[in-house]
Amino acid sequence: MKFQIEEVTVYFPYDNIYPEQYTYMVELKRALDAKGHCLLEMPTGTGKTIALLSLITSYALAKTESPIKLIYCTRTVHEMEKTLAELKFLHNYQVKHLGAAAKMLAIGLSSRKNLCVNPKVSSAENRDSVDAACRKLTASWVRSMAAENPNQPTCEFYENYDRAAGGAVLPAGVYTLEDLRAFGKEKGWCPYFLARHMVQFANVVVYSYQYLLDPKVAGIISKEMQKESVVVFDEAHNIDNVCIEALSVSVRRQTLEGAIRNISRIENEIDRFKDIDAGRLRAEYNRLVEGLALRGDLSASDAWLANPALPDDILRQAVPGNIRRAEHFLHVLRRLVQYLKVKLDTDKVEKESPVSFVASINSDAGIDQKALKFCYDRLHSLLMTLEITDTDEFLHIQTICDFATLVGTYARGFSIIIEPFDERMPLIPDPVLQVSSLSLSLSLSLSLSLSLSPLCMLCLCCHDASLAIKPVFDRFQSVVITSGTLSPIDLYPRLLNFHPVVSRSFKMSLTRDCICPMVLTRGSDQLPVSTKFDMRSDPGVVRNYGKLLVEMVSIVPDGIVCFFVSYSYMDGIINSWNESGILKDIMQHKLVFIETQDVVETTLALDNYRRACDCGRGAVFFSVARGKVAEGIDFDRHYGRLVIMFGVPFQYTESKILRARLEYLRDTFQIKEGDFLTFDALIDVMNIELTDRNLNQRQAAQCVGRVIRSKADYGMMIFADKRYSRHDKRSKLPGWILSHLRDANLNLSTDMALHIAREFLRKMAQPYEKTGSTTGRKTLLSQEDVEKLGNNGAQEMLY
Amino acid sequence: MSSGQVTKRVKYKTSVKDAGTPGRLSLVKERLVFRPNNPNSASKLDMQFKYITNHRYTKEGSNKAPMLNLTSNQGASYIFEFESYEDLHICRDFVGCANLMKFGHKGVAELLHRQQKLQILELIRKFIQNNPAEMICSSVQGCCKTIDYVLHSELQKLHQQFVGGGVLTEAEFWATRKKLLEKDANRKAKQRGGLKSSVLAESKPFIDGRTNRVTFNLTPEIVREIFSEKPAVHRAYLNFVPSKMADKDFWTKYCRAEYLQRSKNIAAAIAEAAEDEELAIFLKPDDILANETRRKIRRVDPTLDMETDQGDDYSHLPDHGIFRDGSKEVAESGNELYQRTLLQDLNRHAAVVLQGTPIDEEQLKDTQTVAEALERSKQERSTASKDDESSADQERLKGISQAMTIDDLRGSNDHHLAPLWIKVLSVLTHNISSTKYNLGKKPGESLLDSLPTSVRDELLHHHISIEELMKHFWSSYPITNKYLNTKVTKLKDEMSKMDSQLQKLKEAVQPDIRHQITLLIRPMQQALEAAMQHYDAEQQKRASKAREKPNGYS
Repeated sequence: MKFQIEEVTVYFPYDNIYPEQYTYMVELKRALDAKGHCLLEMPTGTGKTIALLSLITSYALAKTESPIKLIYCTRTVHEMEKTLAELKFLHNYQVKHLGAAAKMLAIGLSSRKNLCVNPKVSSAENRDSVDAACRKLTASWVRSMAAENPNQPTCEFYENYDRAAGGAVLPAGVYTLEDLRAFGKEKGWCPYFLARHMVQFANVVVYSYQYLLDPKVAGIISKEMQKESVVVFDEAHNIDNVCIEALSVSVRRQTLEGAIRNISRIENEIDRFKDIDAGRLRAEYNRLVEGLALRGDLSASDAWLANPALPDDILRQAVPGNIRRAEHFLHVLRRLVQYLKVKLDTDKVEKESPVSFVASINSDAGIDQKALKFCYDRLHSLLMTLEITDTDEFLHIQTICDFATLVGTYARGFSIIIEPFDERMPLIPDPVLQVSSLSLSLSLSLSLSLSLSPLCMLCLCCHDASLAIKPVFDRFQSVVITSGTLSPIDLYPRLLNFHPVVSRSFKMSLTRDCICPMVLTRGSDQLPVSTKFDMRSDPGVVRNYGKLLVEMVSIVPDGIVCFFVSYSYMDGIINSWNESGILKDIMQHKLVFIETQDVVETTLALDNYRRACDCGRGAVFFSVARGKVAEGIDFDRHYGRLVIMFGVPFQYTESKILRARLEYLRDTFQIKEGDFLTFDALIDVMNIELTDRNLNQRQAAQCVGRVIRSKADYGMMIFADKRYSRHDKRSKLPGWILSHLRDANLNLSTDMALHIAREFLRKMAQPYEKTGSTTGRKTLLSQEDVEKLGNNGAQEMLY
Repeated sequence: MSSGQVTKRVKYKTSVKDAGTPGRLSLVKERLVFRPNNPNSASKLDMQFKYITNHRYTKEGSNKAPMLNLTSNQGASYIFEFESYEDLHICRDFVGCANLMKFGHKGVAELLHRQQKLQILELIRKFIQNNPAEMICSSVQGCCKTIDYVLHSELQKLHQQFVGGGVLTEAEFWATRKKLLEKDANRKAKQRGGLKSSVLAESKPFIDGRTNRVTFNLTPEIVREIFSEKPAVHRAYLNFVPSKMADKDFWTKYCRAEYLQRSKNIAAAIAEAAEDEELAIFLKPDDILANETRRKIRRVDPTLDMETDQGDDYSHLPDHGIFRDGSKEVAESGNELYQRTLLQDLNRHAAVVLQGTPIDEEQLKDTQTVAEALERSKQERSTASKDDESSADQERLKGISQAMTIDDLRGSNDHHLAPLWIKVLSVLTHNISSTKYNLGKKPGESLLDSLPTSVRDELLHHHISIEELMKHFWSSYPITNKYLNTKVTKLKDEMSKMDSQLQKLKEAVQPDIRHQITLLIRPMQQALEAAMQHYDAEQQKRASKAREKPNGYS
């Protein structure tokens, strides 16, 4: 449909539109008009992305005199793919109705790992080894060597791309990663470098948050974006965490050991160079004297991760004299690593500010703050001079220099936390172990924790999310932060330190009660169920949980998703279900797929799960509440007719880091701890009683909030833990779930839940009036309705 | 009747060596007619199909000309040479179908008894494919009718009742049936049983308490599962048995490895694997599987590919960012080589089940046969599926973009079908299900069985009749033309008749079972009522609409 919002003609690729989408667009347009930032919250299942994309692209089409560029940031690559698919759909529609005028270039950008088409390179294991393998073929010195020596291997795709030079352009269209690879293969051009080049000219760029927020990546990718851009952060409820993570570094014992190996290797290289080409090191020295840490004209293929500090904070000065010479710099690094090693040798928690930390480095290791600050660029320069291409081998020393540069740059907003942590179970957030390490009852786990020798981790934590995002707010005309859950919405401007011109939260108007949350407190034998640590290993609870699932798989069609509180708990419960035959009963009805710690395997399991749902066989997916799947995979439509949350999810190791962050927020932004706690629902670990209070609003929204794709979709959620029946726990659930949680469904046993589920599914199978006109308020607008709205003014509509 | 006729150019011969008379062969409903091009030629032919007892034809691919040889009941043979195999096939199928009809109900029934149903269906299916739609009606209907008549004598009754009673026309009645038949015919000639969902190989080993003996029980079915889930074991079997070791030794080793695996005694597993290289094969990660995984991950749906996230995620560099539980992967150190978890096994199993098995039940004789059959089908699959995959990928990608769209915002879908909004329906389904619930409470006891046979039959027949009526009734809405209107009126009359019949039935039965009968009849009556209410409401609406319109408009 095509309609007007004030002077802008909006091309929307559907025949109908939700009223929420319409108002969302109106608000968004105001923000664009004002050239300011905005904050918009709208529940999932209302088609946020398509509304955003249609308005911004239509806006760009309407304002041809000052074209705007759209930079769309997603959290993950698969979300990027989804966005691009929607954009393609929209673009097709616009081209159909507007003709060639609507043509645009939209690309998704990712790493070499995801874009490389050279089979020799792309077969490498991980991102860093692909990067290194690419450098081995494309670094400027490798290529100049190849000019003389034909046996030196190079990458034909890069060479072709380089030869085509200005001629290498992408024709208009929407390119997913797959499209880019296909185009690159067809033309024989390197898609990665082509995409990076085309970013400047594209009308729409879709990439992940870090390409803008992490200075290391943003420094090389997003340097040249124009000011007249609209930046969108989608699913941005965790944006503050991404920001602080972009500026945080942790150092473990392995890091230090690896760094020592790296230093020795560099030393050898230096010796070798001294013998064959001493002039080169001298040239580097001279360059550093002149004050250039790096040559200004790096070829794109040489670009490495940029400086970890924010662009405004990097000093444009000469590198200090004491680290100009390569050998001297290595000595400094050695002393730094040694100092950190001593620091890590502790068994208690320590917290320090960067200022005092830098002071003690100065006194103990004799490294001044300025030298620390230049560590990263100095290392970069050295590795380039030594023509090192296997950069993946040098990640450890890189981490150390990252750390040094950050600690040397920032005096505020950071703290250094040294914390003993359990090396053997770094991934398994198991509150039992957590509790036992605080020497509480449970003899079994106590013995376990005693047998572990706790290792230390040193973490430079950024507490101030506004630091990383500040350059984005400063540089770009409009920044749109949007998500399904941004409440309390007034907290975000304070956390991120910006002033939105529009800040609004939309409610979803449903045509029918298409979500059915339930709280299950008792099993089929009427005994309470919970994952509280004194009950979780109770065979009765395990059996009751199993019976619940067995019953549900027999009545719920298609896909069922189960979330567990941790990997170890999931592993344990599946094993005991297997032994007691419950698993077999489940498999009678549905296939079982499980999230494991191996990402590849999990991805395949998910893919198979979807196939099983598609073909009608039906399947169950077991997942972990804070795992990767919960973070970003949708279980909408038949992929998730029922979500069962077994127990209350926990937050674990971050406690001290969190504590430090809370203090900082209180001191700097006057955000009360309580505010942030209810917001993030994190906990004070010292207070064991409260451990289970840790149902995280954001987490719960993550796990169960992705079952609805549209108003026509429907799904059920079961919260299976007796603690959910308590008000304080439940109130942490997102409002849109709470509003559908009936009082009658607050304290159910398995048989009652089964009955409700049956009734619900039957109800949902009935035909219904899609526009909602029978209920008085319209939940779906036609072209005609929208035109009427436009005439009456958007203000007195709907709400 | 123009339909039901095939005309082809042929040469008519009396023997194979005969040069033949060029002309046209027409196949009409019950007869075949040959007219030579030269009207003076004597070799005309006009005979009914019922005199033909047998027909033979040349196979495609043989170097003979496409010929059809019909034998009459007098022993004479008529040979037709066609211009192409295509023509031959069309005519052959026509003759085949006609032949079937010739058998009449009894003949078909007999054929069905001889379990040739599938062949018949196959014949009809081919026929449908090759012939223009209008032709299908008459001839296929003939076959359909016979088959369905035999298969469901119920249908016969229904047919008499509705078509005979003039409520439905012949075409209307068969319209719904034809679909059933097509579906039936499209099914593969032989249905294959899938793998069982439950993990067979996980069945626990039997341990007797007294000795240290552990007994594993392996059946060919389990072996099939093991081979398809663990291709490395399969390969090892093909390599070692029987050249290097006996079947039994192989499985003993396998079970030993499984046992070690399951007892989670990693140290022992490593020690034994070091000594015995064959045992090590079972304990090592499956390299074939790893390759397959690598291949598959490239074709995974990009909107859920978390592996690409890892490739993109710069804060997931080792040691970058804040170390957070569960969100970060750290390469596991140590002996992961020998750790295979139950979770992995379950995922693998489900994937294999989903993929389906290439082995038939009858091949499940012994392990050797299973191993070989699996190997053969694997090779077949790998050659056949290569081209398949890319097209399947395309299909999937299309599916993804489809899935991205928001269903209820697309208006086009619900324009031609007015949304059905019937309040009674929800109450109705509720009642029906609750009655069912109440009645079927006691397991093993059927209420129907307790009724007298005559009453039961009548009841069942009524049920089916009402179902049939309802099907036709609801599918006629929304009423867009006059035809539908008259159909609905007819149906409505029939429904009220039915209603009174039900009432009569209820009154006629013995008082002791009247209550049960009432319960059983209620849902039927409700269904009828709902339909009639809808009819009345609709009728009123139409009437009021008609009144609004000024004179002269229709």
